[in-house]
Amino acid sequence: MTNQNRREFIKSASLAFGSVLLFPSCLKQKSSFRFFTPEDASCIIAFCEQIIPKDESPGATDAGVIYYIDRQLSGVFHYDQETYRSGIRNLQTWCNLKYGKTFEAIVPEDQIKILKMLQSNELNESEWPGSKPADFFNLVRAHTMQGFYGSPIHGGNKDYMSFEMLRIDFPLVIGQNRYRT
Amino acid sequence: MANKHVNAIVIGAGAGGGIAANELAINGMTVVLFERGEWHDYDEHPNDELISQRTEVLGSPFGPDHIKNPRVVTYKGGSKQIVTPIKGGYSNNAACVGSGTVSYGAMAWRFMEEDFKLKTIYGHVEGSTLEDWPVTYDELEPFYEKAEWEIGVSGDDTQNPFAPPRKKKQPMPPFEYNREAKVFYEASKRLGLHPFPIPMLRNSIPYNGRAGCIRNRTCVGYACPVDAKNGTQNTVIPVAIQTGNCDLRTGSKVVEIMIDDHGKATGVKYFDKDDKPQIQTADLVVVAGAAIETARLLLNSKSKLFPNGAGNNYDWVGRNLQGHAYTGAYGLFDYDILDFAGPGATIAWSDFNHHNPGIVGGGMLANEFNKMPYLFTGIRPPGSANWGKEHKEFQRSMYHRTAQVVGPIQEIPMFESRVTVDPEVKDFWGIPVASLSGERHPLDHEHCKFLSAKAEAILKEAGAYQTWQSVGGKGGPSGGQHQNGTARMGNDKKTSVVNKYGQVHEIDNLFVADGSVMASGGGFNPALTIMAIGYWVGGYIAKNFAGR
Repeated sequence: MTNQNRREFIKSASLAFGSVLLFPSCLKQKSSFRFFTPEDASCIIAFCEQIIPKDESPGATDAGVIYYIDRQLSGVFHYDQETYRSGIRNLQTWCNLKYGKTFEAIVPEDQIKILKMLQSNELNESEWPGSKPADFFNLVRAHTMQGFYGSPIHGGNKDYMSFEMLRIDFPLVIGQNRYRT
Repeated sequence: MANKHVNAIVIGAGAGGGIAANELAINGMTVVLFERGEWHDYDEHPNDELISQRTEVLGSPFGPDHIKNPRVVTYKGGSKQIVTPIKGGYSNNAACVGSGTVSYGAMAWRFMEEDFKLKTIYGHVEGSTLEDWPVTYDELEPFYEKAEWEIGVSGDDTQNPFAPPRKKKQPMPPFEYNREAKVFYEASKRLGLHPFPIPMLRNSIPYNGRAGCIRNRTCVGYACPVDAKNGTQNTVIPVAIQTGNCDLRTGSKVVEIMIDDHGKATGVKYFDKDDKPQIQTADLVVVAGAAIETARLLLNSKSKLFPNGAGNNYDWVGRNLQGHAYTGAYGLFDYDILDFAGPGATIAWSDFNHHNPGIVGGGMLANEFNKMPYLFTGIRPPGSANWGKEHKEFQRSMYHRTAQVVGPIQEIPMFESRVTVDPEVKDFWGIPVASLSGERHPLDHEHCKFLSAKAEAILKEAGAYQTWQSVGGKGGPSGGQHQNGTARMGNDKKTSVVNKYGQVHEIDNLFVADGSVMASGGGFNPALTIMAIGYWVGGYIAKNFAGR
């Protein structure tokens, strides 16, 4: 096969089969997260959605807050990784014990009740070993706010959703009558 | 290759150091200006609240590097924490060419005559090291004027009946009031107060070859996209470099001032851009690293005659660390009272600086700078939810309707509020880091209550349907971006670090030219005063050392 032909082949093959044919590893469902496992991500997505729930405006899930948190935990916030790991573990263990299911599968009203318990440290050492539940809660709460209301370049606030909700214009490109995208 | 000997070394290219370096350079002295940071501009972090000087959760846009530069904070009860610029308690004040003047809110206050003689006016305050400055307002006045004209100030002091006397008006007209300020103006007049436009180190009209302000929403905490905010990085430092006498070395970390056995400064040790250890010698050394790093450098500079650090034979280096407790009130309005024209703060009151019964000092009040959305998530009336549906609903409906009147209280200096060097924790270059400890004077909180009540009264009169106070001044240690006081100026070498010209007692060729020398921090943002000190100290050096 000449160089030219090979290029043509790859082009047509990709058109026909996508990347699956050329890169069989893509067949496996791979996590789109850097830090979270898909299971952990589901838990935190549900958590964040209660911090900033969807109403007539988008909520934390719509704005992609999980991608903000995931990205920062693999970077600047690397020192918070253990708080997330143990927090998720403790939360899921407790939810399984009390509700027989994971946090994300519990109805929103009960999720809110649970988060309030975390915030007010109502779980004792045997229910929540190793740390204070409020530390975990406050961390996720702060990160959710940052991801929802911060700049989209850090992974959250998709398309400046929260800026739209707050009725503030997107950053103007200085000297030009248009917005930076 | 050894560095060429120069007339002077200036450490720190901020408000004080940038000006001092230029004063020496234009008077013919050869200068090396050391800056541990780099040049920065707006485009590095456009509109990014999470990397701004207001909200440093993901990084400090203007330095220092958050991994290489830890500090230690000791809280009440002795709990010790290692902190970084992106964690609370660090008291970060930028590390770059221009330092805080790149990203500040740029209020251009002259301290009042009273601010220089607090002890004479208020007497001894129990538990405090409150003292008069050895320099008077009258002596500094020409240097305030120089700062206003060379760096560039917009304002009209004739509208402020409490403003100290001046010979020359501010060079640019004042900024207009924004939407909320117009409401506050009328309301406070009805209360018998004296509102006036805030003087700003920002161009209300094109000035000095640069553009006028475009009211960028993200102003305070960010560099200016059109360079209409005036700092040392776009005024005196370029001038100093143009003289050909000033060599600005960025990325260079000075770690020790070398003092010989006769008590003379001979130069500095530093790590260059590539982190290689270097030596630079000079006839004299000027330190201007801001109150925390200046104190740390002096303390880390041990020599035969000064075994506890340069100028520290009487244990005053690092003492009296002050800043500003901010205090004020919030008000909720039933219409969009904010217009978000940058930077937001336009109106001020000086009625509560001095001459208020029972209050030592006091503080000015102003309407607050624009708050970006994340910062606003922390602003709620007492008892409100801080997450969930209610929190979101408040964010959506009240973002344009929550106004704040706030100000910096004159802090009462405390001997035990201090900077030391930590015996264990070292920075990336192996140098002991600054450790902050001590508490505020109990009067600070009392004074804050006084000022917050005044702020709340203005908001109520302006028609707020709900108000609440946020009262500062508790705990400690103090510090923050307005850090000052750690190398106090005074006439007695046993109770101060430098004389009235910023000259370290007993080391004739070592000077300090930043907020460290302030005997007290005033009830105003300190930038213009630090600039005046830069001119004052730099002018003294040029007069007495140039041409030698």
